[in-house]
Amino acid sequence: MGSQLENGGISYVVASYVITWVVLGVMLVRLLGAARRAKAEYDQAAKGEFRT
Amino acid sequence: MAFRDDVRRIKAIVWKDLTTERRSKAGFNSVASLGVTILVLFGLALGPDGQALRDAAAGALWLAVLFAGVLAFNRSYQVELEGGALEALLLYPGSRWAIFAGKLIANLIFVLLMLVIVVAVGIVLFQVRIPAQWPTLLGIMALGVVGIVVLGTFYAAMSSRSRAREVLLPLLLYPMLIPVLLASMEATKAFLGGDLLNASGAWIQMLALFDVIFLVATFLAFEYVIEV
Amino acid sequence: MSPATPSQFGPPKPAPVWLGWGAFLFFLFTQVYAVATSPADAMMGHLQKMMYVHVPAAWVTFAAFGVVLVASLHFLWKEDERADLLAASAAEVGSLFCGLTLVLGMLWGRPTWGVWWSWDARLTSTLVLFLIFVGYLSLRSFVEDPHRRGQWSAAVGILGAINVPIVWMSVRWWRTLHQIQSNPRGLSPEYLRGLLLNLAAFTLLTIWFIWRRYEAARYERAAEHAAQAAALGDNNG
Repeated sequence: MGSQLENGGISYVVASYVITWVVLGVMLVRLLGAARRAKAEYDQAAKGEFRT
Repeated sequence: MAFRDDVRRIKAIVWKDLTTERRSKAGFNSVASLGVTILVLFGLALGPDGQALRDAAAGALWLAVLFAGVLAFNRSYQVELEGGALEALLLYPGSRWAIFAGKLIANLIFVLLMLVIVVAVGIVLFQVRIPAQWPTLLGIMALGVVGIVVLGTFYAAMSSRSRAREVLLPLLLYPMLIPVLLASMEATKAFLGGDLLNASGAWIQMLALFDVIFLVATFLAFEYVIEV
Repeated sequence: MSPATPSQFGPPKPAPVWLGWGAFLFFLFTQVYAVATSPADAMMGHLQKMMYVHVPAAWVTFAAFGVVLVASLHFLWKEDERADLLAASAAEVGSLFCGLTLVLGMLWGRPTWGVWWSWDARLTSTLVLFLIFVGYLSLRSFVEDPHRRGQWSAAVGILGAINVPIVWMSVRWWRTLHQIQSNPRGLSPEYLRGLLLNLAAFTLLTIWFIWRRYEAARYERAAEHAAQAAALGDNNG
């Protein structure tokens, strides 16, 4: 059935790769930020503990 | 000895829940009315062609029971929470599973009574021809309701004590009920369609199997759910 | 209400940043490699190349759900709060890959079957898995008490894990009774190396995602513990 498609359905292939790369790339960047923010928050809280 | 205590406890919870329902009546009446209303809406969506209605009857009946039943599950804990009775119940010595069993049986009776009304109305509205072996249909109904009530009672123990309980219960419950609902609907459909226990029998066996699996799983997990 | 004391723990072992970028670069490499080396399939044409994103995404989805199951059981068994945080991290990452798997499956189904969606056992049980992930994550967001949240979500995760194979089985039954299931997939050995490489890359990336998410969750909880300890110290002093 695939051979009946123009270019062997290349647009679907491109779309699937683009979606995958964007989703995983965004996830990578978001997680880098999330862990960094959580660590900063923790450092703040830990400092508060030392003050008392 | 301990087991007899548990049985007594279960009986007490069932009795208490059903008495509360019987005294108020408003709860049961409104839930059953809602079930009928949903059937009417399905009829409008699928009708007026008689054959189309008959084909869809099994699915519509089960979904009406499900949608109305969901309200009953949250209610059964909500009554406890309002009076702070659940904490008191948990403080009594004895097994926690007895609470679950009690709630389960009370909900089972509640939903079965509702089912009788909804099915009776549904048979009329959807122009269903009842086959001669109608006792089998009662068996399918009972097995399906057991599956719905087991999971419904279990998930309501969590959702009723969380924020956004109205959304959370269906969101958690419906995906879990897919096998039970699918088996119930297919068994009912095959049976009403007249293929006497060819496909229907296999679905009934699967339904019974699902009931047992979920019954065991929820009984094991309930301890953790009710504890906090 | 509950007497359970949350296990006090300090900051976690961080997931190295180089591992994340390394996994991502490795992933890009295996993708390009697989696409470049695989010849167009006689039956499916270039559509075969979607295998290198779709199959690994599906694999890591189920692996992540396996982590949720094991961590949930461990949490109920040992009452270790870290297991709960791990389960939550795996569920978040798993739901992302589950959604991705579904979208990629539709992109494959449309040119192959002519429809975006088909009610076969694999698609339906993946969709149900996604719905269970969604329910699991919203349960977590609606419950504040950490101990209660941990126990409840563990129960939901374990029951969900029991449910998915049952859904698969019942939908398979449902399909076979109604119509014959067509399954046009088969794998020739020339595609195998690309697929295995991509499976490895996706797995690495998923490990890093879960680790990093877990790290963030650990810091959040540790900060709460520290704040709690500080407040208690004030009261005593």
